[in-house]
Amino acid sequence: MTAKIKIADYHAHPASFRDPSGFIFQTQGCWYRQVNVSYQEPYRLLMDSGLYVKLREKELLVAHEELQQNLTGEPHWFLTLKPEQLSFISYPEEWSPAQLRDAALCTLTILRSAIGHAMILKDATPRNIQFLRGKPLLIDTLSFERYDPTQPWIAYRQFCECFLYPLLLHHYRARGTHKTLIAWPEGIPAQLAADSLPRRSRLRMSTWLHVLLPARMARPRVKPAEHGPERPTPPFSQEKLLRLIDHLTTVIRTLDLRTAAAEGWSNYYDQTILSAAYLHEKERLFREYIGALSFDSALDLGANNGHFSRIMAEKAQRVIAVDADWACIQQLYGYTREHRITGIYPLCVDLANPTPASGFHHREKTSFTQRAGSDLVVALALVHHLVLAQNIPLPLIAAWLAELTHRWLLVEFVPTGDPKARELLSAKKTYPGPYDPSAFEAALRPYFQQERQTVIPGTERILYLFQKNPQP
Amino acid sequence: MRAFLGYIDPGNGSYLVQMIIAGVLGALFYFKSLWFRIRSFFSKNKNKPDPRNDSEDKDS
Repeated sequence: MTAKIKIADYHAHPASFRDPSGFIFQTQGCWYRQVNVSYQEPYRLLMDSGLYVKLREKELLVAHEELQQNLTGEPHWFLTLKPEQLSFISYPEEWSPAQLRDAALCTLTILRSAIGHAMILKDATPRNIQFLRGKPLLIDTLSFERYDPTQPWIAYRQFCECFLYPLLLHHYRARGTHKTLIAWPEGIPAQLAADSLPRRSRLRMSTWLHVLLPARMARPRVKPAEHGPERPTPPFSQEKLLRLIDHLTTVIRTLDLRTAAAEGWSNYYDQTILSAAYLHEKERLFREYIGALSFDSALDLGANNGHFSRIMAEKAQRVIAVDADWACIQQLYGYTREHRITGIYPLCVDLANPTPASGFHHREKTSFTQRAGSDLVVALALVHHLVLAQNIPLPLIAAWLAELTHRWLLVEFVPTGDPKARELLSAKKTYPGPYDPSAFEAALRPYFQQERQTVIPGTERILYLFQKNPQP
Repeated sequence: MRAFLGYIDPGNGSYLVQMIIAGVLGALFYFKSLWFRIRSFFSKNKNKPDPRNDSEDKDS
């Protein structure tokens, strides 16, 4: 059956070291998951109890095939899994509140299913959830263990800190969840959530049960326990756990995730001074430009509500749509769910300060720039924000765009005479100059060859198409 | 307090927190069912759904 021979060099995923049940590794361009001997029993239970089949039917767990080959040569090897390969990994700190909510509900649905098959989730981190074909699913096949009905849920606190508290804070403050999770990647402690929630949140029973009570219990006791032998605690039960899960589900389902936020970009196309004629012309040119290109993957920088991402999704297998405004991204996510668009990954990313590489040794999570590379990079009405509002010089932007694109760059240049640029400069006069079309073209020249350029009719804005120079 | 056998930290008093929450939810459920029973006793319409069946048809 097994050759315990190392047949290839492999490298373990730098984030896959916490759970002793197994780990993810890459070899020959493919990702695999090793199941260790210690996880043999739960793995067999997952497969034999019908839980795997049930979760696959609902597309809640990543599909895998079993390989009876020890690809790592590790002595703890029990089985190798080849999971469905994901074309893109996003992080919870890049999701809009609706994405985090759906990931939370996905986790709770899986948990409920698992209990029905005598298993339970042993962790509940949103990092185990990824969006595939537009929907959340669990990618950690080793998250299950045998369920002991006398015990409560070990991952309850983790679930609250990573999912419930960020969502509750958003419900009351409408600031999105991504920045909260950048600051607290392992979740918000209960006490901090309790301190950050407004007084009116106390009118909600769930605040008392899931926030204030855990915060109170987490405080170190003033007096150390003096009593002798510990009193046995009464056993938990399956009925109690199901009631807890149902309550969490109801609380999360009924949160108000308001898309009509005050940040203002979500109505950009509808309500701003930009006319319908401008949008129409831009779309016409955009379609004409990309019609002539071949690309499998695209990256839309400053995607707003994803109007142009959707056009690219007609052609590309995978479109990453990013914007700093969570309301825009949430709107796009809602649209992709509603219309079953499977290739778009909507992400909240501040492009002047994109998601950094983080975690232990800065290697558990890779940076946005490292992950988002695409055949075609589109930056419509973005560069003027980076230069005029963020003071990022054109040569730095050019170098970054060259790093992001594999081949094509489609970019809209907004000159200082444009009403939108004037708006940005109304209170702030200093920016890194020169900033004009020729300076822009000069900044891109070291990396790109200019293919086309067209002035968008009725405006001073210019649409450019560049092709990246072949790498030496 | 029982020891958890996991690789993540369940948190201080997590067991007790869940016991209390489950207790509160159980009590609320009990009173809700009682209220429905009283209401259906006095009401002519006996076909109103019983809340006890609410969660039974969910996934298991």
